[in-house]
Amino acid sequence: MILAGLDKPAVVNVWASWCLPCRAEAPLLNTAFAQYGEKVVFIGLDVQDNQTDAKAFLDEFGLDFGHYFDRQREVANHYLGIGTPITFFFDAGGDLVATHNGVLDERTLALNIDELLKLGT
Amino acid sequence: MEFTLLWAALTAVGLAWVGARIWSDGLPDHSTDRMIGAAAAGLVMGRLTAMILQGMNPLANPLDILIIRGGVHTGVAAIGAISVYLWTAKGRLDYLDATAPAALLGLAGWHAGCLWRAACLGTESSLPWSWALPGSPITRHPVELYAAIGLAVAAWLVSRLPWRILLRAGSALAVAGLLRLLTEPMRPSLTGGPVGWYWAAIVIGGLAAWLGPRVSRRLSAAST
Repeated sequence: MILAGLDKPAVVNVWASWCLPCRAEAPLLNTAFAQYGEKVVFIGLDVQDNQTDAKAFLDEFGLDFGHYFDRQREVANHYLGIGTPITFFFDAGGDLVATHNGVLDERTLALNIDELLKLGT
Repeated sequence: MEFTLLWAALTAVGLAWVGARIWSDGLPDHSTDRMIGAAAAGLVMGRLTAMILQGMNPLANPLDILIIRGGVHTGVAAIGAISVYLWTAKGRLDYLDATAPAALLGLAGWHAGCLWRAACLGTESSLPWSWALPGSPITRHPVELYAAIGLAVAAWLVSRLPWRILLRAGSALAVAGLLRLLTEPMRPSLTGGPVGWYWAAIVIGGLAAWLGPRVSRRLSAAST
């Protein structure tokens, strides 16, 4: 639903304030958003969390892209993601290109964004 | 995916052990244990640094130190491993030389560990040995395997160098930095990569390889 009508590829990150590895990848997502925010849509999906802790997490890391609550993990389950964090990479048509279960490292994130951009050209 | 870095680390330790068996050059057996212990200590130090930089309290999350699911600070890991090794070897620099080829082979194992992590690929390439991400038409350099092969060849070359204090160890450090630097443009990156650390390894390793034999020769000439 969120992706419908987008004409750009999207990076959808599933996170939670209680998730330790999410802390490791939050600064990377910020860097990627600053670098590719005009070409790629970044979306955060906060799962199994409460609003107070989630807001504190967002404030701590200054994650400026759009975030949504998915308390029941419906999106993650729909796309067969395992655990938290998960990152889904969608092309401009809204089709799922890649899923990364677990914490992201810089190379993986950069590689998948490069893939999305090249697929779109 | 959570444990794949751990598998890469185990591959590194395994290959370093093999290297130590091939190129130990008459060192006592416990030097192998010392090297593997130092590598493990370096990994833990690198992991602790990464956790602290990421705002995690290692004491509150001790298992995360071993699972390595958030990366390792490679610069601190390298310095930590070398320092611990020197400390346990009671400052014997020739031990550092003796295990330098094995350390390079261990590093090759760390890079080859990309195969467990599905993380070998780099920038786009049409070379015949390039391959693509699953389901993708875009073929890419298997850049981590380039680094692994380069490091394995470097390990053999360093093992052929003559015995001079710090010549092998310094050369190994410089070559490791150089290979990372040369392959860096083929790695997709958000920050440009830790190029400063690679240059530091090249300069410090090069200086050690150049100065070590000269200083040691002068010291032995002065003592006779």
